[in-house]
Amino acid sequence: MEYYLGIAQTIGIHALLGWSAYVLLLTGQLSLAQVGFFAIGAYVSAILTTMFGFHIVPALMVGALLGGFFAMLVGFPALRVKGLMLVVATIAFTQFVSLFFFNVHWRREVDGVMAGPDSTQGFREIRFYAANGWDTLDVTLFIWLFVLLVMVGLWWLDRSRAGAVLRAVGADDLAAQSSGINLTVAKVTAMTAGGVIAGLAGGLYAHSATYVDHLTFSVLLATFAIAYPIIGGIHNVLGTLAATIFIQGILIEGLRFLGDWRNILFGLLIILVMNLKPNGIMDARTMRAIKRIFAGGKTADSK
Amino acid sequence: MLKLENLSKHFGGVRAVDDLSIEVNRGEVFGLIGPNGSGKSTIVNLICGVYTPTAGSIRLLGNEISGLTPNRRLVAGVARTFQNIRLFDDMPVWKNLWVAQNSTEDANKHNLLRRWFGGAGSDRDEIDALLEFSGLGGRGGELAGSLAFGEQRRLELARAVAAKPQLLLLDEPAAGMNFDEIKDLAKRIKGLREQDMSIILVEHIMELVMGVTDRIAVLNFGGKIAEGTPDEIQKSSVVQEAYLGKPQDVA
Amino acid sequence: MDDIVFYTVEIIQSIIDGVLFGSTYALIGIGFTLIFGAMHKLNMTYAAASLAGAYIGLAFFTLFDAPVMLVFLAAIVGSAGIGLIVYYICFRYIPVEDHLAALMASVGALFFIDEIVIHATNASPLTFPALFDDVMFELGPFGIRGDLLFVFAVSLISMAALWYVLYRTRLGLATRAVSQQGIAAQLCGIDIHRTNGTTFVVAGMLGGVAGSMIGASVGILSPLLTLPITIKGLIVTVIGGLGSIPGAIVAGFLVGALENVFLFVRGVNERDMYIMLLLFVFLVFRPHGIFSRRAERD
Repeated sequence: MEYYLGIAQTIGIHALLGWSAYVLLLTGQLSLAQVGFFAIGAYVSAILTTMFGFHIVPALMVGALLGGFFAMLVGFPALRVKGLMLVVATIAFTQFVSLFFFNVHWRREVDGVMAGPDSTQGFREIRFYAANGWDTLDVTLFIWLFVLLVMVGLWWLDRSRAGAVLRAVGADDLAAQSSGINLTVAKVTAMTAGGVIAGLAGGLYAHSATYVDHLTFSVLLATFAIAYPIIGGIHNVLGTLAATIFIQGILIEGLRFLGDWRNILFGLLIILVMNLKPNGIMDARTMRAIKRIFAGGKTADSK
Repeated sequence: MLKLENLSKHFGGVRAVDDLSIEVNRGEVFGLIGPNGSGKSTIVNLICGVYTPTAGSIRLLGNEISGLTPNRRLVAGVARTFQNIRLFDDMPVWKNLWVAQNSTEDANKHNLLRRWFGGAGSDRDEIDALLEFSGLGGRGGELAGSLAFGEQRRLELARAVAAKPQLLLLDEPAAGMNFDEIKDLAKRIKGLREQDMSIILVEHIMELVMGVTDRIAVLNFGGKIAEGTPDEIQKSSVVQEAYLGKPQDVA
Repeated sequence: MDDIVFYTVEIIQSIIDGVLFGSTYALIGIGFTLIFGAMHKLNMTYAAASLAGAYIGLAFFTLFDAPVMLVFLAAIVGSAGIGLIVYYICFRYIPVEDHLAALMASVGALFFIDEIVIHATNASPLTFPALFDDVMFELGPFGIRGDLLFVFAVSLISMAALWYVLYRTRLGLATRAVSQQGIAAQLCGIDIHRTNGTTFVVAGMLGGVAGSMIGASVGILSPLLTLPITIKGLIVTVIGGLGSIPGAIVAGFLVGALENVFLFVRGVNERDMYIMLLLFVFLVFRPHGIFSRRAERD
């Protein structure tokens, strides 16, 4: 049971990370900076709970807000460059944040023990859950509460004018601008929202891992963050979750028996999916098929 | 209404628009014609804010707008369509209009939160009316990209109108249309004019231009070579020269 | 006073070493830029494929005891082959407008190649044969390492060869035509897919040179090199201006030199942080690269 709960936690955290990239993908921007914001949220909230005795909820909030704040700061200059330039700029940002925490050494005595980020040794004393007697199930439910909140929020966004505006910018930025949309505001807002979600995910990650170091926040993780919405498709909010379950649950956990070959297969499967479903596995066609199944054949023939 | 004064746009050594002055009156359909490369599209892009002018001024209702970005110009009252249709293809038809509605909407009508995060609500009535006007009634749920060519043109026009502009720029709206569609478009343009909208029509198809415009300016090499009513323009020898070359050239 | 002299000498020495090694970054940057110029797409696999080419060369060395020159040749052929395969599985059949899908597929190929290398080498670093590593040229207070000079010379020769291919052959003409006006080029009878495929092969050959030169100057090959080289290569590409070959060359030298200076001044832990900052400085003040005059495309 513990094992499956552990997977559920990973899926929840990774889905949040994927959604933070999804929001930005709606506006047509591909960002690998999400892991940078994830790292900021992780370190900040862990510092607050471990070194200053905060409760986890306010600590997560502060981590999320700071993630959003840095996303906004990065957003203004980074969004001046388009498309592939942004990819490179955001890779560099993630790398920069990771190297920054690699060099942070800030220890503080708490209850007679030294705690805090210890540069190359990582940050090892994040024990909020254990100290407050939360068991694995509590933690998993706590994480999935946020997963549901963000999912409903994004689902709602897609039904609102704000969501339509983001998608319009992603579809054709000149047409969107000529329809009265302020591109900078739209893109920076998306970036900020993505930063908030990533910061939140980072805080949740740090507390369930109980240990973070700079190697966690790699470009590889950033690649996973964009892989979820791209493979799932940005047609709707469920795609990212489906892709996270597919990758984390099936490919990584389910194929464990393959040993080394699993990782090789992983790369090949991404290539295969992108060739067969360039708009993601949950593209418009898949969604129609799913709706038809749920409609129970009644409306199968009608348009 | 709209006043272009000594407007110039140079690209390196190329003078795409050179010292051009034009005035468009309220409620007028103003035609802009000229051979390929005469600077028509550049003018549209200057008025909409895609390009910034090298020199000269663009005034809308007396206010200088040449420094504004395209979205600010829409708020100021200038909406446009594109020569090559640019819709939000993967979005439903009605959302294409919803997006454009926001800019000129009365800020007091909703509070900010409801305006951005509320559902469409009462906006739907207006959208449905626009769809009806475009002959797309009841098809709001389809994806814009899946419409037929002529329907996409009508939707793009509706999107421009949704912003309730004072001035509407139509950049070759009849390109690729058949005879019936052009007749239909002419009817729509006249209808918009009756709503007191000023329209600038950039077009190659003379039947349309001569049929709906009040006045016409003829461009060549980035400058204005003639201006007048459709009748005057049709009789002008300068215009015929610009399009067909001088008589001796032909011989 | 002596301190200052020592310091200056060391910094200049760092710059010299950095510029020499930077020629490999320049090659990787050119490869990214070539493919971007042709297809307007980013091939994330490129640096991994280049290093994989070097591994293929190394396999010849260990298995058949091949001479060093043959090792380099095998690396070039191997990397070109991988380039062609990557083109077919990640770019050829994915619709042109689906930029994200192609990018993601090339990331998949990056994982794939990396994992194969890890699998084949048990993730342990392997020694790569170097040339002239026992030679040292003295230039007043400065020393120039023979192996780095060799790497630098080979890189310059490859750049010259690339220039010849691009500007003096029909193939180069077709490549440039496709990158500037794809549709018009097609109308002129140029097979766009074939030209793109050839570009991948040419870039791959360059990558093979780069990969083996990196191996020759570092002395070892390790899967841990893939990511840093990918990132440095991308940074070089952006600083040089996407699509600009001269830009990539200058940026390669610049990044190589500054990296070494930061290494000397701030130590290995902070070195790369300053390279990232350098990129941000360029993005803010010269977003279109060193030489580019506001080419407005993405």
